[in-house]
Amino acid sequence: MTTATRSAVVDAVTAVDATFGTVFEQIDSWRAAIERHVAAHHGRVTVTEIDELVEALVVPGLSAANALIIGAGFVASPGFISDAEWHLAWWLGHANTFGVGSADPALRRLEAEEDPSSESFRDYTTLEWWRVPAATGAPHITGPYVDYLCTDDYTLTLTVPVMYEGRMIGVAGADLYVNDIERTLLPHVRAIGSTATVVNASRRVVVSTDPHRPTGAILRPDDTAEQIACGQTSLVLVLG
Amino acid sequence: MPQSIRSTTAARAAVFAPVAGGGRAELVAQRLTDAIELGLLSHGERLPSESEMARQFGVATVTTREALEALRELGLVETRRGRDGGSFVIAEGSRTARIDRRVKALSRVELRDMGVYYSAIAAMAAELAADRSTPDDIQHLHATIDATDATAETSSRRGEGTFRLEVAALSQSARLVREELRLQAEFAPLLWLCLREETHRVRSREAHLAVVAAIEDFDGETARRLTVAHIAGAIEWLLDAKAELERRG
Repeated sequence: MTTATRSAVVDAVTAVDATFGTVFEQIDSWRAAIERHVAAHHGRVTVTEIDELVEALVVPGLSAANALIIGAGFVASPGFISDAEWHLAWWLGHANTFGVGSADPALRRLEAEEDPSSESFRDYTTLEWWRVPAATGAPHITGPYVDYLCTDDYTLTLTVPVMYEGRMIGVAGADLYVNDIERTLLPHVRAIGSTATVVNASRRVVVSTDPHRPTGAILRPDDTAEQIACGQTSLVLVLG
Repeated sequence: MPQSIRSTTAARAAVFAPVAGGGRAELVAQRLTDAIELGLLSHGERLPSESEMARQFGVATVTTREALEALRELGLVETRRGRDGGSFVIAEGSRTARIDRRVKALSRVELRDMGVYYSAIAAMAAELAADRSTPDDIQHLHATIDATDATAETSSRRGEGTFRLEVAALSQSARLVREELRLQAEFAPLLWLCLREETHRVRSREAHLAVVAAIEDFDGETARRLTVAHIAGAIEWLLDAKAELERRG
């Protein structure tokens, strides 16, 4: 590999790390604010309090022009909120057309079924964006996946565990459209000049210079391809 | 993000998505009728106001008024005046009788065509899913099948919808998922009428397991073939049921 190629690879890895890193930094600031609030209230928080807090935290990011984040919020561990067994404090941005079918949707709150006795209720603690950070205690990128309930589109969900006294009290997170990520990352990956593909931890393609490697396909292992971890993210840049 | 928190949320959103084309009042009325039959709108639920619905459907208020009138005539909605007034869903009584009426009202050509269209979407989704699923995804599909109680009709019906939606999601195609949801809202109560019988509920479960096995083997061809056959079976059952209903008059 030439020095020029090597430097383009480093640039691409840096771009991937920075793109997700910026979003994770924002989520992490929400996590810290929620943890401070919870600690200040000795672990007792009501639905109203958490909603006010989370709304104030996430709405500015969702309102920004050209925001990558199209949905964000906090999802509570069952039993943590004092007056609701299950609770989601989640907001959808202007770019998020979920459920409205209009070209200019308003910033709004996600309406989710929180009553476990309801037929349509399902336990979110079984889903990847919850399950993985709960198991590892670390930030996690879920997707690309079709999120048919919250964005109605091809999505990446970033989640971070929120802790109080050593136990997880929920996750803070954000949704990104895969479209936007492709637009953001493709120029950087393309600069490498040969086939390069960003895959997630399950080897699902996030973006590739090869137009015949569709986003969402699984890149089958190939021993000859060089693999480079993209900084703090769980994403991997595969060369060749 | 909160996928599957409420598997009907998106389906409900599809209910109120804008309608296009002529006969808008009929389309709105049909959309609401289907939603009531499917159980997406439940008994006693208050519908949005005429103007709110008009905004959501992207039609004139007079159109939603006309649609509501049609629903009142069908006995699916009642309108109460006053402070706590509005239009409320009536879904009590026999769901079976209502569905039977619709089966009789639709022609064989329409029913078969709906099967062909649905099968095109569902089979393509299954084929793509076989190429794009991780072991974790397979486990999730198994969990969906296990959560369905084949001895109960409601659970089977819901399980059928959830399974198909999960497979569609694994295709990684947002359009296929949206089309799957739309078609479920439109056809599912009729298409899966065979789930009234326990034999078919068991057969459905076996078909799902076979599709998952094919997806696990990266065998898109088999996943597609099994899906087409499963849906074709449901349509043939439906046409037999229709013939039987017509014989009885």
